[in-house]
Amino acid sequence: MPEVKSIFREVLPKQGQLSMEDVPTLVLCKPKLLPLKSVTLEKLEKMQLEAQEAIKQQELASKQTQ
Amino acid sequence: MEVTMDPLFLAWSYFRRRRFQQCSDICSKILEDSPYDQAAWSLKTRALTEMVYIDEVEVDQEGIAEMMLDESSIAQVARPGTSLRLPGTSHGGGPTPAVRPMTQSGRPITGFVRPSTQSGRPGTMEQAIRTPRTASTARPVTSASGRFVRLGTASMLTNPEGPFIHLSRLNLSKYSQKPNLSKTLFEYIFHHENDVKNALDLAAQATEHAQFKDWWWKVQLGKCYYRLGLYRESEKQFRSALNHQEVVDTYLYLAKVYQRLDQPITALNLFKQGLDRFPGEVTLLTGIARIHEEMNNITSATEYYKDVLKQDNTHVEAIACIGSNHFYTDQPEIALRFYRRLLQMGVYNCQLYNNLGLCCFYAQQYDMTLSSFERALALVANDEEQADVWYNIGHVAVGIADLTLAYQCFKLSLAFNNDHAEAYNNLAVLELRKGRIEQSKAFLQTAASLAPHMYEPHFNLATLSEKIGDLQSSYIAAQKSEDAFPEHVDTQQLLKDLRQHFAVL
Repeated sequence: MPEVKSIFREVLPKQGQLSMEDVPTLVLCKPKLLPLKSVTLEKLEKMQLEAQEAIKQQELASKQTQ
Repeated sequence: MEVTMDPLFLAWSYFRRRRFQQCSDICSKILEDSPYDQAAWSLKTRALTEMVYIDEVEVDQEGIAEMMLDESSIAQVARPGTSLRLPGTSHGGGPTPAVRPMTQSGRPITGFVRPSTQSGRPGTMEQAIRTPRTASTARPVTSASGRFVRLGTASMLTNPEGPFIHLSRLNLSKYSQKPNLSKTLFEYIFHHENDVKNALDLAAQATEHAQFKDWWWKVQLGKCYYRLGLYRESEKQFRSALNHQEVVDTYLYLAKVYQRLDQPITALNLFKQGLDRFPGEVTLLTGIARIHEEMNNITSATEYYKDVLKQDNTHVEAIACIGSNHFYTDQPEIALRFYRRLLQMGVYNCQLYNNLGLCCFYAQQYDMTLSSFERALALVANDEEQADVWYNIGHVAVGIADLTLAYQCFKLSLAFNNDHAEAYNNLAVLELRKGRIEQSKAFLQTAASLAPHMYEPHFNLATLSEKIGDLQSSYIAAQKSEDAFPEHVDTQQLLKDLRQHFAVL
């Protein structure tokens, strides 16, 4: 159908302003860089973990003796 | 006949090689034979102290009670730029929340976590209690019930025969007369037993014995007062110690007091005074940079971190902070260089590989991205870290438009940490793309209640509600979003549209 083609022709303006509608889209939360831990913090956490382990061991031992 | 080494000498040797357990064992044996051997006794106290020693300057944990019932700050409503508690007020050209995630207290996340900056200062009691913990440790009710006490009791528990020194039976005044014993004893009481009151007694008597001329005892007194929450007294002691002898440590302790009293400007001035006496001192420069960072003045914080690196080019904290700043100011390739430098220096943990993976992805070095994340996953220490790594992998998946993978990553993140608000939000966005409005809405509401400080879930909820015609909820959510991030243009646009709608009605 050559007639239809001639009726609807695409328009690509070479001059003038180009406008675009800004549609609000949903936003993703941003990627998260993980903060490194300081030496002190690592030592604290390690000591806390060891202490918890020690307590667990002792509790187990005391249960077994009972 | 075999010639054995003198046991005390051997113990000393173990101590110098930081084999404290062996050192303490040998000292115990010597003490069994001769209970009044002062050298062995003193060495054992030192060994036991070193086992649990942590840098007192770095340790600062605020409990809920200290935080909420705080009466030591001078101005309850401080002027902008003079307080650590109003973070949003001084924008020093730092990145907005649109590009840089925020912590609970409204500060941009830092590149380095220290014991004192773990979760900032929440606004209300309720928020303080149900804070989603960022560094896996729960905030204690008061600092007196926090880690310190737990560590103290732990050191006793491992000793089946009870504690090495019975503090209650100790004649403190006798020991305070002996300068060669009293210092090690003090450190033992303070660090190992965590008995601040007895430590304070000893320090007070010892400083009297030294006729108030020994700066060391004054610093220790200041440390005790600080732990007890008597900040003004501790300030006095530190000031007086500085008059006797200028030591970098004393400056750091004093600045810590001012930070606790919420006087960052005074602390900054003090650091600058210290820098006049000790030019180029790294710890002082780092202190300045930290304060700038906490006051949300990222640009000058970075300047000071760069100064730190000029003095000490292996400073992990400075490298990590500059790196994260570059990442969030849209220069991932430079951030990558900083993190690579850390890797070369021998830092080897989950966080670093995660950051490397993200930097690689955004710097378009796709070959390294997934292998970095694989390593990060192999090195995780707990579930929270694992959740964060999966969350970031989810971002990579969104970036390569593999939405199924992204969906699975965010789900995994939630499986490891059920309070991961960011993952809920992103999952909601993906659900909405699939057209499941109700599910999406539920996720957004969860995210908003878990992390009211983030603007994303509020804004998304507002947009979603507006689309389905629930203008009232949309307006409420948009207002919350505006509270969290006042400069967000889309929120303002949405609010304007909604107000117009309501005006027409």
